[in-house]
Amino acid sequence: MRLTRPRRASAPALTRPATADPTDDETTAGAPVEEAARPESGMPGGEPTGSGAAEAREGGPAGPQAGEVPESERPVEGADRAEGGGSDSRRSRGGRLRGVAAAGIVAVLLGGGCAFHYGAHQLRSTEAARNRALTDTEATARVAGEIDNALARVFSYTPDGTATAERSARAVLDGRAARQYRDLFARIRDDLAGQRITLSTEAVRTGVIELDGDRARLLVFLDQTSRRGNGKATTAAAQLTVTARLENDRWRIVDIKAR
Amino acid sequence: MPRTPRVPAGRRPRPLTTLSLALALCAAGFAAWAGEDWYGAAHDDRSAYAAERDEALAAGEQAVQNLNTLDHRDLDHGLDLWESSTTGELREQLASGRKQFAEQVKAAKTVTTARVLSGAVTELDDRAGRARVLVALRVTVKASDGAKTEKDSRMFGELTRTKSQWRLSALGQAPVGGASAG
Repeated sequence: MRLTRPRRASAPALTRPATADPTDDETTAGAPVEEAARPESGMPGGEPTGSGAAEAREGGPAGPQAGEVPESERPVEGADRAEGGGSDSRRSRGGRLRGVAAAGIVAVLLGGGCAFHYGAHQLRSTEAARNRALTDTEATARVAGEIDNALARVFSYTPDGTATAERSARAVLDGRAARQYRDLFARIRDDLAGQRITLSTEAVRTGVIELDGDRARLLVFLDQTSRRGNGKATTAAAQLTVTARLENDRWRIVDIKAR
Repeated sequence: MPRTPRVPAGRRPRPLTTLSLALALCAAGFAAWAGEDWYGAAHDDRSAYAAERDEALAAGEQAVQNLNTLDHRDLDHGLDLWESSTTGELREQLASGRKQFAEQVKAAKTVTTARVLSGAVTELDDRAGRARVLVALRVTVKASDGAKTEKDSRMFGELTRTKSQWRLSALGQAPVGGASAG
């Protein structure tokens, strides 16, 4: 202790960074650095004795108080002195400040970026935006056309030609719709042949309610014209909501609900 | 000896500065990308169009339901609602036939209610403010003797946007067997 202090005081300008730096690294030692720096600037010829150094330390807090009057009277000189004497402590403080500012900026940028990213995600994932009905005109027209076609084929038959309809059904129906269709045909096949019933189905209007990638829901207005034998044809209206799924680049009906 | 510690002391902050600079640049890049992404999403024509479509559908379904709802005990309110749901020619038609129609309903003492089963937009021109909708509807008519009759109907509606609100400008029932109504 006695050996290091005089050495420090004998070459204040050169050793100061060395003494200031280690303390600088210790974040808790902020106050001692200032104390050590102030006496040196206030008393350039500080006694190289242990007691002198101790005095200087003790007198440290008083230093700025003594220099307060001239500093406030001559702010330019005060600033000069601060630059000359306390430059290292100021620099380290400035560096810390810069560091804090930089961290702050980075934090703000990251936070802002995250907020924007989240906002964009929210905007894109709204129900309205996910539903591509009409917004994707090509896909909308395609699914509507394919479903119209499929319904017409599946629900149109002649007394001797139910096989064609059933074959179409196997191609375009799937899931619940396919099961329902099989059940229906198992029940009515004999009647169809016996009563010579002809049915032709036509989609009058089709609207795509929802289109999201490979799933779609449509509202279809159908006209179904049936004729018994050579009797008069009667037309009935049907409203269906159809759920369809795109499989192997082809829309298949998975569910039909009569409305 | 005294000079040696000064060198690292001067240099020490540099790698840190470089690192923080790189970090700041990365953060700035990320923020810029995210901002642009958000701007793109916020000004996406498609999502605005999609929102307009959903608005038109909601307004269309509500208007069709309104026009199929009427209570003989509260005619004025019901018919006001008809008029506020419509615009253009349809509104004029309703307004001109209002008195006569009100008397008919009063005499028949019917209560008509409607429920929308399903609806879809088939056309939307968001610039011109025109849209067409399909609505599948179940109409229940309660006669004066309490007998209820239910009837499903399919409606074609045409909507026009006035003062940023979609209103029905035409409404018709889809003809059954009327060839292929375009």
